[in-house]
Amino acid sequence: MNSLERVRATVAFEKADRTPVIPQIFAHAAVLAGVPIADYVRDGALLARCQIEAVRQYGCDAAFAFMDACVESEALGSVLAYHEQQYPQVVSYALTPDVPVDRLSVPDPQCAGRMPELLRATTLLRAEFEDELPVIGVVAGPMTLAQQLAGPEAALFLAVDEPQRFEELLDFATRSALRYGQALLAAGAHVAMVFDPAASPAVVPPAFFRELLLPRLKELFAAFKKAGALATWLHIAGATEQILGYYPQAGVDIANVDYDADPLRARQILSHTCLDGNIRPLSFVLGSADEIATEGRRLVELFAEGGGFILSSGCEIPLEAKPENIAALVSAVHSDS
Amino acid sequence: MPSERQSATTENLPERQSAVAENPFHQLRCVRAARMVRNSGMQRLIATLTDGDSAAALAEAQRLRDAGVPVERIVNEGLETAMEQVDAKCTVEAFNLLEIMLVGRAVTVVANELYLRGIPPDRSKATVVIATPEGDVHDLGKNIVTMVLTGKGYRVVDLGRNCPVSALSEAVEREQAAAVLLSGLLTTVIPQVRRVRPALAERGLFDVKILAGGAALRQASTEELDVDYVAQTAFDGARLLESCLAERPA
Repeated sequence: MNSLERVRATVAFEKADRTPVIPQIFAHAAVLAGVPIADYVRDGALLARCQIEAVRQYGCDAAFAFMDACVESEALGSVLAYHEQQYPQVVSYALTPDVPVDRLSVPDPQCAGRMPELLRATTLLRAEFEDELPVIGVVAGPMTLAQQLAGPEAALFLAVDEPQRFEELLDFATRSALRYGQALLAAGAHVAMVFDPAASPAVVPPAFFRELLLPRLKELFAAFKKAGALATWLHIAGATEQILGYYPQAGVDIANVDYDADPLRARQILSHTCLDGNIRPLSFVLGSADEIATEGRRLVELFAEGGGFILSSGCEIPLEAKPENIAALVSAVHSDS
Repeated sequence: MPSERQSATTENLPERQSAVAENPFHQLRCVRAARMVRNSGMQRLIATLTDGDSAAALAEAQRLRDAGVPVERIVNEGLETAMEQVDAKCTVEAFNLLEIMLVGRAVTVVANELYLRGIPPDRSKATVVIATPEGDVHDLGKNIVTMVLTGKGYRVVDLGRNCPVSALSEAVEREQAAAVLLSGLLTTVIPQVRRVRPALAERGLFDVKILAGGAALRQASTEELDVDYVAQTAFDGARLLESCLAERPA
């Protein structure tokens, strides 16, 4: 089986030759290649080269077409500060209190901000891996984009102080994510990941997720499936147990399980949804290769019978992760085959 | 969008509210709080604070002060009781920033009205210094801890985000702070966190407690960070602070 076949079978709970392993390597690929992050997140060809090198070096089962969570916000007029060794961050938000939401228009991925560069990266990754290994196209989810447009605190207060304006903002963020995700799929991405850490129960109550975010996620994932996504992937970090039960309604094929969630409890809640996780991200920095390999093997064994599991980090692999620790994670899936 | 959607107020959280109401720990706190409250004005203040209604809470606090209720009583029986009630319902499993932010905003508005520039040193439980270390520009978590601690009667000196260790140790000495609180979303700030204790030691500040929290730092152990405590949530941090300051020699 190649990586694409392996992931496809695993998502469908069919037999695969081994457990897929997909450490969530984003800009760690730049650090690994000795490239400044400020360049990695602005140059699609460079991003593709670094991702290809990371996949080749570690032997993992997917590549990520993802720059950072600010791409969409910047394309809409937010101003960013770029850093050599860290992700960019918004220094001036596009949506200030005096700006009506309807003044924003959905960005055209072919020409807005850095979006065309990520489309380029996606096309290059697909050309490299063809249908051998999945390319994961990543967009910011509605709640995360709302925060990136208005500011984290302002967006949350807006939800309570001006619920109508907040819903307008969420609707706008959903339309933006939809168009961007469709463009990534058209550029060659196999899988559509919605990266929405701000939708975590650590940030908003589960009822907030159910009433305000679930309908928008459902709309997004349905559109991505229609656009040809092999699978949809929802990345929400933190203790997500209280919202996992809504994932099937949203149309999630792969559910991220962070390190502080119990994977067996997640399986009880999501008996027919593929899970990915859930090794503590900080262990890739402070832990040893032995610890990672042992934990990886434990997880592989835990899900060996039932299937539907991708070995991964609970959240993004930290930028400064030790390469030997990522190699140890990958080695864990080979010991069972 | 579908019409069944509700507006995003805390009133639309029936499951969570009933779970909280059934929590025996919460009920005990409420009984205790009720005993402490001696008039309906204070009860109204607590209710408006826990509802996160800043404008109503401010009006209640002003009304109490105008009626001659001492500021210390408004803080002790109003603000602190409200924070205790929220604390009781926020476990590690059931903690979300939105609800805390609403209460925190209301408490901060009232505290700033009562003291103009935050709680002064002579009236506070203790002074603490808080910051997001250099290399990290995320400050949502730090701001929430600041609100929680202000509501609990601490004087919080907020050094903002991307704060160098030297500025931290200087502020601790200048403000005679009892503790330093560090919040980090990114794992890359860990080397900065590890430098805090030696920097304090250079100034002879050996008794100052160091607490860490935030999405990245809460994954680590005290040994890995060289700190005294690692908090899982803002209230966890406040409780740890309370207990470690209680252990200090008088």
